[in-house]
Amino acid sequence: MKFCSLVCVFLATAMSSYAATITVRNESGSALAQVMVSRSLVEKAALNLSDDGYTPHAVSNQATTTVTRFTNAEGVVRFGDVPEAVTYRARAQGYVDVTFTRTDDDIVLAKMSAEQLIASYPSNVWLSQMTFGGDLELKKRFQLNCAFCHQQASVFMRNERTVEQWLGVFARMNGYGARLPVDEQERIAQLLQEEYRFLREHPQVVPQPRQWESHLSGVDMTEWPIGDGFSQMHDFLLHPNGNVYVGDNLFDRIYEVNPVSGKYTVYKVPHPEDARLGGILGNRFSVFPKMNNYMGVHSFAYSKKDGHIFITPSMQQALLEFNPDTKEFTTHWMPEGFYPHTIRIDQKDRVWFTLAVSSQVAMFDRSKEEFHFYDLPARSFKEWFIINALPLIFWLDPENRPIPDPDRAGTGLPMPYGIDIASDGIVWATRLYANDIARIDPETEEVTMIDFPYQGPRRLRVDADDNLWIVAFQDSLLVKYDPVNERFTAYDLPVINEIPYALNVDKDRGVVWVTGNQSDTLLSFDIETENWKVYPLPRQRFFTRDIEISAKDGAVYTTNSHFPTWQSEGGQPTLLRIAPLKEVVSGKAEQ
Amino acid sequence: MQRGFRLILAALILESAGAADDGWLYYGGDQGGRHYSDASQINTENVARLQVAWIFRSGDVETFGEEMENTSGQSTPILLPEVAGGSLVYCTPFNRIIALSPESGTRRWQFDPLIDHRGDRPFRCRGVSYAEELRVAADSHCRHRIYTATHDRRLWAVDAIDGTPCTDFGEYGFVQLFGEEGYVPGDVSTTSAPVVANGIVVVGSSVIDFTRLKTPRGTVNAYDSQSGELLWQFDPLPGAPDSGGANVWAPMSVDAANGLIYLPTGAPSPDYYGVHRPGNNLYANSVVAVELATGKVRWYFQHVRHDLWDYDSPAQPVLFTWRKDGQSVPALAQLTKQGFVFVFNRLTGEPLWEITQQPVPPSLIAGEQTAVTQPKPIAPPQLLDPNLTPDQAWGITPWDKKDCARQISELVNLGNFTPLSEQLTLMFPGSLGGANWGGGALLGDTGVLLVNINNVPFSGRLIPTLKNVSPADEKQDQPSAGQRMQVTMQGSGYTVDIGALQSSLGIPCNAPPWGKVVAVDLLRGRIDWEAPLGSVHELGPINSPFQINLGTPNLGGGIATAGGLFFIGATMDRLIRAYDTASGEVLWDFELPVDATATPMTYVYKGRQYVIINAGGHHMFNRGYGDYLFAFALADKK
Repeated sequence: MKFCSLVCVFLATAMSSYAATITVRNESGSALAQVMVSRSLVEKAALNLSDDGYTPHAVSNQATTTVTRFTNAEGVVRFGDVPEAVTYRARAQGYVDVTFTRTDDDIVLAKMSAEQLIASYPSNVWLSQMTFGGDLELKKRFQLNCAFCHQQASVFMRNERTVEQWLGVFARMNGYGARLPVDEQERIAQLLQEEYRFLREHPQVVPQPRQWESHLSGVDMTEWPIGDGFSQMHDFLLHPNGNVYVGDNLFDRIYEVNPVSGKYTVYKVPHPEDARLGGILGNRFSVFPKMNNYMGVHSFAYSKKDGHIFITPSMQQALLEFNPDTKEFTTHWMPEGFYPHTIRIDQKDRVWFTLAVSSQVAMFDRSKEEFHFYDLPARSFKEWFIINALPLIFWLDPENRPIPDPDRAGTGLPMPYGIDIASDGIVWATRLYANDIARIDPETEEVTMIDFPYQGPRRLRVDADDNLWIVAFQDSLLVKYDPVNERFTAYDLPVINEIPYALNVDKDRGVVWVTGNQSDTLLSFDIETENWKVYPLPRQRFFTRDIEISAKDGAVYTTNSHFPTWQSEGGQPTLLRIAPLKEVVSGKAEQ
Repeated sequence: MQRGFRLILAALILESAGAADDGWLYYGGDQGGRHYSDASQINTENVARLQVAWIFRSGDVETFGEEMENTSGQSTPILLPEVAGGSLVYCTPFNRIIALSPESGTRRWQFDPLIDHRGDRPFRCRGVSYAEELRVAADSHCRHRIYTATHDRRLWAVDAIDGTPCTDFGEYGFVQLFGEEGYVPGDVSTTSAPVVANGIVVVGSSVIDFTRLKTPRGTVNAYDSQSGELLWQFDPLPGAPDSGGANVWAPMSVDAANGLIYLPTGAPSPDYYGVHRPGNNLYANSVVAVELATGKVRWYFQHVRHDLWDYDSPAQPVLFTWRKDGQSVPALAQLTKQGFVFVFNRLTGEPLWEITQQPVPPSLIAGEQTAVTQPKPIAPPQLLDPNLTPDQAWGITPWDKKDCARQISELVNLGNFTPLSEQLTLMFPGSLGGANWGGGALLGDTGVLLVNINNVPFSGRLIPTLKNVSPADEKQDQPSAGQRMQVTMQGSGYTVDIGALQSSLGIPCNAPPWGKVVAVDLLRGRIDWEAPLGSVHELGPINSPFQINLGTPNLGGGIATAGGLFFIGATMDRLIRAYDTASGEVLWDFELPVDATATPMTYVYKGRQYVIINAGGHHMFNRGYGDYLFAFALADKK
């Protein structure tokens, strides 16, 4: 009986799927290469979303995946194991999107009109022509504050607005946490109005985006939709058990995604009964109708010793530990420090993370269950005073706390951000607003600050040679720091006016992967050859904050965490994997 | 045979219509709703000397007494050509048609269709239409006709010279606008003037669209202008059997030469809940270009997909010639409640300003599938600022400002197109925001459109309802009058609760102006100037002896003239004003006995320019009522 069932399932599966070969041409009949073809299931899997529209704790759902591939030089793309009811979308630079279900005829793409073409350009090329009246420092300040969460020159940001309407936008964004200099808001509003207007009236000055290239026909992109338009899938972790753990920063949920089956299980992070929405920071998003971030799931790292996952809950003075076997959470409460941020674990199983608001690096010694804090130096007496006054400030009710009044010179706090650990055990951390790097020797407890010669050191990673790779956010650079020779090397990004948020290093293959949030791309940099490759992402406004790499095959994972997520194309957050096509890896065939 | 004849007629009718450069032959000034007159006798230099030429009272107040509390005088008269009697013709809220001497305001004739007064729906009539029926012999009865659609769903044709019914039209002068469903008092009515062109009369309807899932359908009907024979019908919601509404209640526009009529469609029912009507709900919330002869759709543009905000197309499409960079394009501008202006090639529907897709927030109501994006023009800018944060709260004292900040901080507020949920949500603009049926006035060939805008925020939510409440037991006050309205959307499981967002002193929580005039340059895609519209001096606990021009909610529209003036009433201060179209400065105002919730008109008669406005108050704003028609002119004709 059991055997019969298995046979029946096999037969049913075999009968209900087929291989599809699609040829894409232009209107003249020429084959179109590098056409992005995305395949989606027509029927979406039924989901249990009974917990206020979300998957309940410890409940599993099946994600309805979308697979994206690119045509080769002959304009051909192939999909294997195609289920019966699927729909395709073909997208190519300069051509109007086409959706279709039948694949027996060639697909013909029509060229965009001049207006459609210019309107289709991503944010970065438009932003590249914004000069801010020649005040590039002002432009960088704008980018630092406004590109934290979303694209800046996407199509709906370029709409004509009055100066008053721009000021209204700033008021709303500052309420969410942006810190655009108060005394320059009026000027920025005028500049945005004038320069977007100029670009609309002179679209010929906007450069073409980088053209998609032939390496794309060797990759396969898979998306798993998780959460909804109110979620924010921030950081995540590729665990040795094969699952991907994604944190929904706004709903205190962890999505345990099985990339093989597409099944995911959700675990809700516990919080104290008396915790308030927004945690000790208070709720900056009170106007949002749905919000459940008492802890604020932020960054992930796992212990090589037992596989436990450690998570920074930004909204609390705590560190979370999750046992992926028992699915139990443990909360380690900290005696001090504010805003646990990016997290890593060293070879001695010590957990290191930045404390972004209190300008510290924390170390959690698992063997002793103790925290140790490294104070990073203040840049001035005023900054020292503010940092030391933080316990008092956070003791006040959120509604009565003093609100920072930033100017161009200072945004209030240095903000330790990215962190990583070299093979020699040295801990490295960046400070986003202070433009410096902290070097912490755990053995001597010595803290050394190194000036970063560029602006906006955001996240960093260490490569196989213990060099540091750092993204310079508002300077649009990838920067290498050689600690032995104490030398910085800057690399221009392959796309214009990108504002890189995060990166990771594929140590086995010597490749640095960088997020391309303004250009809807991921960028890869070969350390040895210093060559770039650009990977266009399947959704517009695909804003990413983290990258994970599979050591096994070099597959790259990222999540769509545009804020707000509903502004992403389709309004649906996804976990995305870019993997080399198996046939390409084996060298058997192109696809 | 008949259709061919109509096309021939079109050119002749157009010619006669075009002859009245200084007249006002159509509700919107011309068939394209430009609200513009070439008259320039009254201009920026002399408008300060404008004075009352005559006053006419319809007698409704004396006749109908307290029933006037459920009326609003919203009519814009038309001036007939001399061959049609040369009268000034308008309608009263009870659909009486009255013809006056344009010089003295004395009554020449009247026609009373004796409408059914049953039902709770307010009585309104915004205008009548005129056409010369060339199939009738010259000098014969009803060669020149006035058409009006009544509160009780009848379309009348009467003789323009003596006001008697045209007996060859329908059943002794009228056709019934309802079908087999019969007439249900108060269910469906008509407020805007029908349009007539090329031998065809087209009429829309007004539907109460938020009280139940499936309200009457807003079918548009077209009739032979001579016989009243039904020629075609346009279904605004094809394939949506479980919904209704999407009716055309705002004035329509006609491009007779190209045989197109433009239909501004409203929201599908009910306004704030759409689980039962999945998808975009075409052709609701659209401007639809329909072939006048056949009723076939030529093109359409839907400015709100799957409406959950009551964002009807509220204004007459403005037809004009787009002259830019050496191009001359027949164009159409559509104003919306959201405060957007969309501009198209009116023959093809091609946008003349790029239309962007604005991502918008999803709904929290179970089963509600909102559209992922909504259209927004790249330019001109939104004519109001939808941002409202606690820091932007406004008050005249620190206490009411703080109260407003608290209220705003407690609202769900995700910007444009935030759907209502069970939590109190900011509605800004609300259903009475942005532009409305007053439309816009185009300043000649300059491409500058003058628009009156409502700028008062509302708040709203959906309250789960265990049982359907009888409409009679519900709290149906008007948010625009500072009250909260609660209406059960029968069959949805929800009651919608909407009210003005205001402090404990009854003052709107956003910064003034709460009503304004905006001069928007359609060709350059930017705003030239803005000015407050309305004084609040009569809206406090006691009247102020002087104007406080913070703007008021406003209904009705304005007109522009070659004299460089923009005339508008519409406010809650009983004033009619004249703005300088170049600067936005108010150059003249006059205090009327009651609010003039109507669009004025102007004409030159025997060498003298007159400005006319209907002052009839407004039920929705809880203001006084009246039955006045005021005429203004210069004393010395110079």
